[in-house]
Amino acid sequence: MCSIVSASTAFFLLSNSNYSVEVFLVHVNAERPLGRNDRLDNKIEGMNVMDFKFTEEQELIRKNVREFCEKNVEPIAAEIDENSRHPAELFEKLARGGWMGIPIPQEYGGAGADFLTSIIVVEELSRSCASTGFTISTHAGIVCTMVLLFGTEEQKKIYLTPMAEGKQLGAFALTEPGAGTDVMAVTTAAVLDGNDYVINGIKTFTSNGPTAGTYLVFAWTDKSAGRKGMSTFIVPREAPGLRVGEHFKKMGLRSSQTSEMIFKDCRVPKNNLLGKEGAGLQMAMAGFDGGRIGIAAQCIGILQAALDESIRYSKERVQFGSPIARNQAIAWMIADMATDLSATRFLAYHAAWLKDQKLPFSKEAAMAKLYASEAAMRHTVKAVQIHGGYGYCKGAKVERLMRDAKITEIYEGTSEAQRMVISGAVLR
Amino acid sequence: MRVRQRRSGWSSLVLCSAEHLEYEACLKIFIRKDRKRCKFMPSAIACFKWVVDEAYIRRGPSGDLDFSSVDFKIGEYDRNAIEEAVRLKETLGWKAVTVTAGLPEAAKGVKDALSRGADEAYFIADSSFGNLDSSQTALILAEVIRARIREYDLIICGEGSSDFYAQQVGPRLAVKLGIPCISFIEKFLIENSQLIAERRVEEGVEVITAPLPALVTVLPDINVPRIPGVRDTLMAGKKPTVKISKDELPPIGEPPLRTISFKASKMERSCERFGTDTAEIARFVGSLRKKGVIG
Repeated sequence: MCSIVSASTAFFLLSNSNYSVEVFLVHVNAERPLGRNDRLDNKIEGMNVMDFKFTEEQELIRKNVREFCEKNVEPIAAEIDENSRHPAELFEKLARGGWMGIPIPQEYGGAGADFLTSIIVVEELSRSCASTGFTISTHAGIVCTMVLLFGTEEQKKIYLTPMAEGKQLGAFALTEPGAGTDVMAVTTAAVLDGNDYVINGIKTFTSNGPTAGTYLVFAWTDKSAGRKGMSTFIVPREAPGLRVGEHFKKMGLRSSQTSEMIFKDCRVPKNNLLGKEGAGLQMAMAGFDGGRIGIAAQCIGILQAALDESIRYSKERVQFGSPIARNQAIAWMIADMATDLSATRFLAYHAAWLKDQKLPFSKEAAMAKLYASEAAMRHTVKAVQIHGGYGYCKGAKVERLMRDAKITEIYEGTSEAQRMVISGAVLR
Repeated sequence: MRVRQRRSGWSSLVLCSAEHLEYEACLKIFIRKDRKRCKFMPSAIACFKWVVDEAYIRRGPSGDLDFSSVDFKIGEYDRNAIEEAVRLKETLGWKAVTVTAGLPEAAKGVKDALSRGADEAYFIADSSFGNLDSSQTALILAEVIRARIREYDLIICGEGSSDFYAQQVGPRLAVKLGIPCISFIEKFLIENSQLIAERRVEEGVEVITAPLPALVTVLPDINVPRIPGVRDTLMAGKKPTVKISKDELPPIGEPPLRTISFKASKMERSCERFGTDTAEIARFVGSLRKKGVIG
């Protein structure tokens, strides 16, 4: 640690055992983004500190986003779900608060926080509205992050900055009618024609499709090269030959906009190739790894909301002369819910922390997503059970939570696909 | 120097007689003294208290309050005070300064205040500052404002703290600094170096003028405090914070008020029904007497 901070700082840390070491490190290392490596630095004279504490900034950000949600998201969540409406007015407020580009550096219009902070925000947003949490998670956690990681300086200026500032949403277009988990079955192809790539094909289930301004589109540039034949293109919405389909009517996550995208001789400049030609699949997998932690965060939000609602209702609802929370059958459901919520948090935060430390996190992200999504589904069903008939009716938050939870076991890699990733890593 | 302060501006202070006299004395000095002020930028000081977030207080089985898992926050009305200071910064180009005295843990509160737009913070921290009495808080704040901040134009306090709501710190601080104090403010303006404030009273609104520097205690209606964005929170730690320890201050003495215990309030229904005629009202009063609610 002494090599990182000054000698006087080290002395301060050692002589002030009551003072939060972590907080001070944030102060002295103000030049670099918040939180990055702070915990690794947290070693004092050969002593490794196991630290589960958030930084003060992260705690404040959680409080602020919670307050924002209570004032702006919670009041409209049921309505936007009912009407499958994209709340443009809410996203304007989110953009103003800088919530749209949290893990993106400030020079590209983001907030310049670490990934863990962005996870906290997705979690708190999802606690009020899983659709809003997911929209932000896809936009910032996958699309913005991929352009940041693999984009050229010019691409970052033209495409990343407006996205990180919240002026437009980003979407990730990989899935096709015949290619879900089997990514190799993609048929969309791009051919270089002069200074343009010409893209032909159909994408489906594109999250943020109808509302996005920038799309990351995956297409074969050389199918014969197998896994090294797919490339990624940054396609602006106004690109000629791109048609965005209607918003799908879904069971849950209804205000998150999902559509088909049809590319018919869609031309994009050569400069819109993201990364190298043929590196598309690797980039997609890197994007998915971060995205999976985002889904786990979304599940934490759903689970926390289910727990909040279940505790409140079971203490209020009186049957046989006492609140139903006094019944062991109900109390144990709530105990299991709280336990799984904690487990999910540790898995997701750990995966996010690994990502921030630039350590391998692919397996951990898959584990977090798998456990979180299955726990969210399991416990939202229980939350509806605790609410009885009232929970089955529109207007009860738990019925929305249950519908929203189901998709988390399906998108960004089904639970089965996560098990493939995890078993592949542990059986290697 | 002309002072156009109306007596009603400070007649509402809730102070003991000795302090009231002290205030009168200070005011006379203040009126006579020509302020020799040399400064570059007018500044507003917002005072805040880092209080227990009541949402986390649990009630124990025997009626006691459980503070074991509480979180803290900037007092609700103090947020309005900070917001108002930041608005002066945004509209008139003033400097917004925040001051707080509390436990070392309140460092998080200092960051919170800075993330709300303040330019700098003064933080008086000590592990013995957990249960400061309002007279002690006022003494500490006055000392820091007088000796360390020195130049200021307006001090803004919340009408009362979120925890005790004693409404004491603001007026006491004004007394100690010898500046005019206007309480219950729901709107104010700065015009020609003087403060024009709208003060909500039972019968309506009083419009009061006071010279600067002055102190106002604000009501929550004055504004809607902003919610800091991510970037605001991240930048807060980079803003200047002056830390002051207890040793740098004169002794604050023993608190005149002692807290013996906290108990949760209990609401029980006695399920008695009363009518509105004379006999029923008499029965109602009798019932309250019997329970010892009234003497």
